Amino acid sequence: MLNDLLYRLRALFHRREMDAEVDEELRDHIEREAEQYRRAGFAPNEAIRRAHLALGGSEQVKQQSRDSRGTKFVEDLLQDLRYATRSFAKTRGLTTLIVLSLGIGIGANTAIFSVTSTLLLKPLPYPAPDRIAILWLRSPGIGIPQDWPSPGQYHDIVTQNHVFQDTALAIGDNFTLTDRSKAMKVDGIRATSSLLPMLGAKPMLGRIFLPEEDLPGKPETVVLTYGLWQREFAGDPNIVGRAITLDGQPHTVVGVLSPDFRLNHEVIPTIAGIDKPELFMPPAGEARKPDVYGSENYNILARLKPGVTMKQAQSDIDVIAARHRQEKHRDRSFTISVVPLIEQVVGNVRTVMLILLGAVALVLLIACTNVANLLLSRAAVRQREIAIRAALGAGRERVIRQLLTESISLSLMGGGAGLAISALSIFIARKMHPGNIPRLEELGMDFRVLGFTFAISILTGVVFGLAPALRASRVDLTANLKAGGKGSLSGGLSIRHDKARGALVIAELAISLPLLIGAGLLVRSFVRLANVPPGFNPQGVVSMNVGAYGPQFKDPTTRIQFYQELGERISHLPGVTATGAISALPLTSAIGWGGMHIEGYVPPANEPELQVDVREATPPYFGAMQIPLVRGRTFAETDTSKMPPVAIIDQKMADRFWPHGDAIGKRIRQSDDSPWAMIVGVVGVVKEYGLDTDTRMVAYYPHAQRPRGTMYVVARTTTDPASTIAAIIHLVNAINPDVPVYDIATMEQRVQDSMARQRFAMTMLGGFAGFAMILAAIGIYGVMSFLVTQGTADIAIRMALGARRANILSLVLQQGMRLVVLGIMVGLIGALGLTRMMSSLLFGVTPTDPFTFFSVLALLLLVALSACLFPAGRAMRIDPMVALRTE
Amino acid sequence: MMEERIELPQGTLDLLILKALALESMHGWAISERLQQVSREALQVQQGSLYPALHRLERRGWIKAHWATSENNRLAKYYKLTPRGQKQLELETAAWHKLTSAVGHVLDMA
Repeated sequence: MLNDLLYRLRALFHRREMDAEVDEELRDHIEREAEQYRRAGFAPNEAIRRAHLALGGSEQVKQQSRDSRGTKFVEDLLQDLRYATRSFAKTRGLTTLIVLSLGIGIGANTAIFSVTSTLLLKPLPYPAPDRIAILWLRSPGIGIPQDWPSPGQYHDIVTQNHVFQDTALAIGDNFTLTDRSKAMKVDGIRATSSLLPMLGAKPMLGRIFLPEEDLPGKPETVVLTYGLWQREFAGDPNIVGRAITLDGQPHTVVGVLSPDFRLNHEVIPTIAGIDKPELFMPPAGEARKPDVYGSENYNILARLKPGVTMKQAQSDIDVIAARHRQEKHRDRSFTISVVPLIEQVVGNVRTVMLILLGAVALVLLIACTNVANLLLSRAAVRQREIAIRAALGAGRERVIRQLLTESISLSLMGGGAGLAISALSIFIARKMHPGNIPRLEELGMDFRVLGFTFAISILTGVVFGLAPALRASRVDLTANLKAGGKGSLSGGLSIRHDKARGALVIAELAISLPLLIGAGLLVRSFVRLANVPPGFNPQGVVSMNVGAYGPQFKDPTTRIQFYQELGERISHLPGVTATGAISALPLTSAIGWGGMHIEGYVPPANEPELQVDVREATPPYFGAMQIPLVRGRTFAETDTSKMPPVAIIDQKMADRFWPHGDAIGKRIRQSDDSPWAMIVGVVGVVKEYGLDTDTRMVAYYPHAQRPRGTMYVVARTTTDPASTIAAIIHLVNAINPDVPVYDIATMEQRVQDSMARQRFAMTMLGGFAGFAMILAAIGIYGVMSFLVTQGTADIAIRMALGARRANILSLVLQQGMRLVVLGIMVGLIGALGLTRMMSSLLFGVTPTDPFTFFSVLALLLLVALSACLFPAGRAMRIDPMVALRTE
Repeated sequence: MMEERIELPQGTLDLLILKALALESMHGWAISERLQQVSREALQVQQGSLYPALHRLERRGWIKAHWATSENNRLAKYYKLTPRGQKQLELETAAWHKLTSAVGHVLDMA
């Protein structure tokens, strides 16, 4: 075996020497043989002739000797590769086009596949993640698509379910970490002891929570994540047992989690909207009470028993929900839904990803079609070359192998280019960080993706290499040699003689049209969305969360004073024209809602109490944000706790309850035990949750009458936002170093970020559609050029017989546009079917929006027409005399 | 005369070359001469097929080649049986005998 391998390697690397040896050996043989003939009496010439005859064709012997060295396969391959390289170098333009087409197709494919596999295929980093579910309340009938459950519901589910192995109750919050040089906000979760084991969290130091810590009366404890421990405590190995100050209370650190533990808002969307919890604490207060149904602020996670399906779990929980509808007087549409955790994380981007995946597959398809097309043209022109090779004794398999080698090396080059393109796109995608696309931090190219790309690139090579190879090798030797290189395929100037190429062009157009229309619809949606007025003027407004709470702000008046002093000092900053504060800023994750009672209004039976968004605001807030006042007045500095309570409502609520403009002076309150507040003003509707989302009704109360401890401070500035932000942070620290500032952004950024997903989808699909159109244009151009080259003689004869140049132009254009129109017709049918799947991504346009359809059609026709025009122009300029002479 | 020669059955050329080289090392032409003489001109060895066979045997490690000066003072490529080639020759000789005797037995029965 080893000898064999060494021999073959030697034969491969010392090919020339071994060939020389064979030459030498054969020469020796001939001489000896001839000598024998001479001795037998033949003349020297005759002796040599006989010797040659006895040996047989010496070239054949040499070739057979070479073959028996066992390096034929590799040598042929090397030869084919050398040949391929030469032919690539000769047709540099065509080769570049092919590699680029493939690179785009494969590259886009790899990038999107990387994203989808990260999002949809990679399991969540928890033990048996497919058995973890998150539970939500839903009341679509009264406009609540999703709401957080309460401790009461948790208790009922724990005691009444038959499907969960384990359940956990959690609530997210921010905590202020003090007793340090500077106060800071830390995101944390208070949860039952079952949460961390359910998510597979293991302590690196100390322990996690004990079941008895779920009960009241235990000392305050906290578990830190690895990141927080490293960042804020410098990885102190003696941290366990130490006390840290959270919200002014000492908490004993009992453990630090291992570094691989991951949890963020994508997995547990907490009501406080925290991004990533960095510490954990046992449940507190109401969370332990089984009869608290009103506080719908919690998350419930559950692990299914082995063998129980999500469907079975859902029907078990349906029974509990039905009981709640009965006993707790929930509305008729109330359900508790069991959502698989992976669905929770990627659910709302699944459609986008699947559409992009489909789009990208289509782009690859076009790319392959294109390459097949270009190779087909190439193979046709090479008929003569192949005929010569066949005449020199190349077998059919040998020719096919040569052509296959070429197309596979082409597709490997394309694969390489694609890999580069996709690495670049992933880099850009991570850099661009398209806001709310989940799991992006896990994104990277993995080996599966690499394998996928290479499989595609090889497969593509074989698929498109085979058709032209088979066709090209089935040549009629004499006909081709006689035809002088134009080949027997020459069908003159009619595309109808070349059905394969025509079909490919039709297919390319048919595939690109739906892509273009899809992209067009997204662009139209995005423009519509960007033009939705947010209800305030974001220009030049900076905003940040300033948290005045903790023990030193126990007295409500201190909070009022704090924000008043801060507002006063901000208004004197250079460039600041207005400033105000509100409890929950639009387009942030902050929320606040509550009940609403209207004096003299009794909600119909079977409908729960009215729920509205609730905001506390300082008087100058509306002016600072330029939220228009529709009626009445905004809050005044005189609306203090000593004065009668007042409220402002938005136009939406006013329209519903007081459509005749008589809202002012009416009274509302949040619950039966809160005081009535008089409506003093009506303001415009503000987009709270996103430009594409309908708002709920909003009630604003003056901060001086309801002094909250967490407020977003906004300031409109005419100078650089960054310096204003820095100045405000400086002011906050100067007033009270224990007050943390976080979630800092300009309002313009927040508006942009709220459209991140739409922009992402639009950019991606737009990019693909653009690629598709370019590829299709290349395809049409290639085929028409080929047609004109093949039909040169035909055109020359027509001209010689008196055809005018205009006739030639229209003749060529007709040939091309016939294909284009056919392709577009097929594509239209496809588009009508496909765009319907995108309706959930569209905003303000229908999936069959005539404007989009019309403009995209016009665009594609224009592009196709110009792609035909170049070859047609060339046909028109053919000089009949020159053309006929060269034939 | 040529017509009376027997075409070599497939695969036997290798065996004959090994056998020829078992006695002494030889160059290519000498091997073809030897085969014709020893077979009393009854076997037709295509001279052309000899050289590919030699390369094949060399690749398998049954024979070894080296260049040496021949009797008439010319440089020639000599082939020599290796110990593995010797073993292979014995194996194939035994197999051949077994085959011929079996075939002969079948033919004699008729």
